[in-house]
Amino acid sequence: MEQLGISLSSFIAQLVNFGILLVLLYLVAYKPVLKMMDGRTARIKESLEQAEVMKKQAEAAEVEFKKQIADASKQGQAVIERASRTADEIRQRTQAEAKVEAEALVERARADIRRERDEIIDELRKEFADLTILAAGKVIGKTLDKTAHRDLIGQVLEESAGLRKN
Amino acid sequence: MPENKKVMGMSKPVFIAVLLGILALTIVSFLAGGIGQALFGIEFPEWLVVHQPEPHLPPSAIFHIGGLAVTNTMFTAWISIALLTGLFWAATRRMKLVPGRFQAAAESVIGYLYDFCTDIAGEKNGRKFFPLVATIFLFVITNALMNLIPGYNSILIGEAGHQTHLLRGANTDVNFPLALAVISFVMVEYWGLKSVGVFHYLGKFFNFGPFIHSIRHFRKEGVMGVFNGLIAIFIGLIELMAEFIRIISFTFRLFGNMTGGEILLVSMLFLMPFLLALPFYGLELLVGFIQALIFAGLTLVFAHIAVTPHTGEASEHH
Repeated sequence: MEQLGISLSSFIAQLVNFGILLVLLYLVAYKPVLKMMDGRTARIKESLEQAEVMKKQAEAAEVEFKKQIADASKQGQAVIERASRTADEIRQRTQAEAKVEAEALVERARADIRRERDEIIDELRKEFADLTILAAGKVIGKTLDKTAHRDLIGQVLEESAGLRKN
Repeated sequence: MPENKKVMGMSKPVFIAVLLGILALTIVSFLAGGIGQALFGIEFPEWLVVHQPEPHLPPSAIFHIGGLAVTNTMFTAWISIALLTGLFWAATRRMKLVPGRFQAAAESVIGYLYDFCTDIAGEKNGRKFFPLVATIFLFVITNALMNLIPGYNSILIGEAGHQTHLLRGANTDVNFPLALAVISFVMVEYWGLKSVGVFHYLGKFFNFGPFIHSIRHFRKEGVMGVFNGLIAIFIGLIELMAEFIRIISFTFRLFGNMTGGEILLVSMLFLMPFLLALPFYGLELLVGFIQALIFAGLTLVFAHIAVTPHTGEASEHH
């Protein structure tokens, strides 16, 4: 034993040395480093979880976005259809109004023409009556009562015109 | 353009000069070394000649504190404690989430040892064993590496005639590996007793169950049952002996390897100073690492075995 160098005091001293080193290393190395490594692992795990959550959120947002785009597209389509329908309605109404107006114009023009024709006919009738009276006066050689004869002629013409009209 | 040929990264004249230098060193170291002196006996200046080493196993006391003789190996153990604590303290003083180089180095060492423990013993037990295993590894390897520092074993103190080495690798003092082995043994048994339970754990060594069972059911199991029971008792006692023998094997494996390595180095230095010792320095670097790993690894494995319940064997017999 002595030749090997085994001695109780040295042995105990080395035991104490080891104990001291274990405590010191625990305090300055193992504890802080493991704490840091655990912290880092937790952080990485947290980050990964957060990334997963964000990914899911992004996916949900994408789905929502697509849905909104689809809705918007549908709404747009509806607006276009409504506008098109309105345009059709407006066109039809305008056409109808234009037609009515045109007809009214034609009718008014026709009435004007009729009125003018009647006036001209009346004028002609008057002149004809005058000429007839004048001619009859010349034939008879005396002046006829102009007013009375004009009325008479007018009445005849009226009747004839009435006959013609009917 | 002149051709600039390089040999091993050196220009030709430099390479030749280096080669001549090495040759001269070889001749001088051969002639100044033990073999050359014995063969030729050429006188060299005192500082070139390495005297024949006289290795002795017990460490020498360098001073006394009270009644306790402080040996050179104990002193180096203190230095290694101070060195390890200082280095790790400096590295972990201001821990950052994104580590600097020094912190990263410390973290990689601790991380390597931690992974080593958890890979073998699992996450829960590995964490429990880690401080002891890591401390054994770091203590042994630091002492082994410090012993290889040039000049480490050359500092002499004391008066002429009674000179002793100031520093000597703690691994080469049998008390140091013995202390580690005892701590390893005590902790392994403690963990075994604690996690498996006193009766269950001791049942591995004092395995009388099968024998009693065979006596009770003698008619059914016959002589072979009794024989098997006796074998179980015998194996249990052998296992108990193996636990204690482990202390001796642990101690002398480390002590023998490190002391042998030291004697080998000084012998090589004596035979041929300078060059011949170089490969052995490399070898000792490796040996130091392997011994530290074996000591720590075996402690870990034995601890892992101790805390693993041996229900398989027990249930087999009942």
